[in-house]
Amino acid sequence: MTKTQALLDPTLGWVLLAAFSVLWVGLGIYWGRRNKNFEDHALAGRNIGLALGSATAAATWITSNTTMLAPQFALQLGIWGMLAYSTASFGLLLFAPMAGRIRSLMPNGYTSGDFFRLRYGRVAWGIFLVFTLFYSLTWLVSMAMAGGILLNALSGISYAWGMSVILGVCVLYTMRGGLAAVIGTDFIQSMIILAGIVIVGIAVLSQVPVAEIHANLTAERPALLDVLFPAAIMAIFNNLLFGLGEVFHNNVWWSRAFAFRKGVAGKAFALGGLIWFPVPIAAGFIALASGALNVPVPASDMVGPLVVATVLGKAGAIGIFVIVFCSLASSIDSLLAATSDLLTEDVYRRMIKPAATPDRLKTVAQWVTLGLGVFTWAVCLPRIGTLATVLFFAGPLVGAMIWPIVTGLYWRSATTTGAIGGMLLGAAAGLACYFLIGWYTGALVATAVSMVWVVACARFSAARFDWAKLKESS
Amino acid sequence: MTFSAGFLEVLVYGSIAWCAISVIGLGVTLVPDIARGETW
Repeated sequence: MTKTQALLDPTLGWVLLAAFSVLWVGLGIYWGRRNKNFEDHALAGRNIGLALGSATAAATWITSNTTMLAPQFALQLGIWGMLAYSTASFGLLLFAPMAGRIRSLMPNGYTSGDFFRLRYGRVAWGIFLVFTLFYSLTWLVSMAMAGGILLNALSGISYAWGMSVILGVCVLYTMRGGLAAVIGTDFIQSMIILAGIVIVGIAVLSQVPVAEIHANLTAERPALLDVLFPAAIMAIFNNLLFGLGEVFHNNVWWSRAFAFRKGVAGKAFALGGLIWFPVPIAAGFIALASGALNVPVPASDMVGPLVVATVLGKAGAIGIFVIVFCSLASSIDSLLAATSDLLTEDVYRRMIKPAATPDRLKTVAQWVTLGLGVFTWAVCLPRIGTLATVLFFAGPLVGAMIWPIVTGLYWRSATTTGAIGGMLLGAAAGLACYFLIGWYTGALVATAVSMVWVVACARFSAARFDWAKLKESS
Repeated sequence: MTFSAGFLEVLVYGSIAWCAISVIGLGVTLVPDIARGETW
C-alpha cells in the first residue's frame, strides 16, 4: 500500500477501536457462558437459525478485501472489475445445496476434514489437511496484516498496535464464545457493513449523478466502460474459481453447514450469496466517481476511503474506519474458529487423544485459538510485506480440491484414487502454470486437470460408496 | 463497444437498493426467530 495521509486523528481512531473492542469481547464472553462442551463451542449447539445463518455467510465473505479492493478493482478494471468481484458470491450460492446435503449426510460431523477421512481414507485426509491448513493460515495472516496496514492508513495508529489490537480482540471473543460469538458478532457486523455501504453510496450519488460519472469516464478513461476489456474478463474466471474452491473446501463454511439448524443450511447460504452479490458493486462504484468528483488518487488501494472522506468529511472517515474494522473482524474470527476446530478435531482428537472428553476438547479448542493468535501475531509483526501473492499461490491448491469434494458428496462412484490423484495432479499442474504462464492460470488449470482425473477414475470404477459411513457417531 | 450510462445507473442504484433491502430483510428475518426462541 502506498503511503497517504491518514484520514482520521489517531486519538479518534483509538476511541473507535476501544469502543468496538469492548463491545465484541463483552458479547463474546456473554454468549460463551452457555457453551458447556466442544459441540456447543465449535458448532453453537447445531442450532443456528436463518437470520444469523444468512448474516454469518455474507459477513464472513465480506473481508477487508471486499470493501477496500472492490473500489481498486473498479478503478483498474472498470465495470467488468466490479462484476468480476461479485462472481465470488457464486461460491456461496453453489455451496447452498451442498450445505444441505452435508448436514443430512453427516449429522454428527464437525469439520471438512471429517468428510475427507470418512469418504476417502487417511492418505487423502492428510493431503487435504496440508492444503487447507496452508490456505487457512495464509488467509489468516494476510487478514491480520491487512488490519494493521489499513488501521494505520485510515487513522495513523501504528501498524504493530493496530494489528495486535484487532487480532487480540478477535482471539479473545472467539476463545471465550466459540462459534456462537463469531456468528452473533457477524450478524451485527454485517448490518453495520451493509448499512454503511448504503449510506456512503447515497452520499456519493447526492454529490454526483451516475450520468456525470459515465460522461467523465467516457472522456477520461473509456477503457473502464469497455464491454470487451480482456484483463477484466479474465479476472471473472479467476475470481469465480477461487471463490468456488475456497467455499467448497474450507472449514469456515463446513463448520457453518454443521452448525445450522436442520433445514436451514441451504437457505442460509443461498441468502448469504444473494446478500453478498451487490456489495462489490455498491462499494466499488465510488472509485469510478473519483474523476467526476475531482478527487486526487495518489494510491489506487486507498481510492474508496479518499472518495468517501471527500464527500462525507470526518463522518465519512469514521464510517469507513468502522466498516473496515467490522469487515476484518468478521473474517478473522471465522478463520480462527474454523482453523482451531480443524486442529482440535482432526489433529488432536483423531490423531493424538481419541478418548478426549467433550469438556477437554472445548478447552483444547480454546487454547488452540490462542496459539493460532500468537502464531499469526508473530508472523505479522515484522510486516514482511503483502501476502496477496502467497494467497494467489494457494489458488491451485484450492482449485484442485473442488472436484474431489463435489463428486465425493454426490457420486457413489467417486474413488480415493481419484481424490488423491485429483488433488496432487491438479495442484502440480496448476502451480506449474502459475510459475510458467501467470497467476491467473493457476486455479483454472488445477481445477481442469483435477476434474479430468477425478471424473475418469469415477467413470471406470466399479466401487460404490455406502453413504451410511459418513454418519459417524460423535 | 461500451457500457451505457443507463446500464451503469441500473447497476449502481440496483446494488445500493439491494444492500438496503438486505439490511431490512436480515432484521425482519431475525424477529420470528427471536419470537419462536429459535435464534440459536
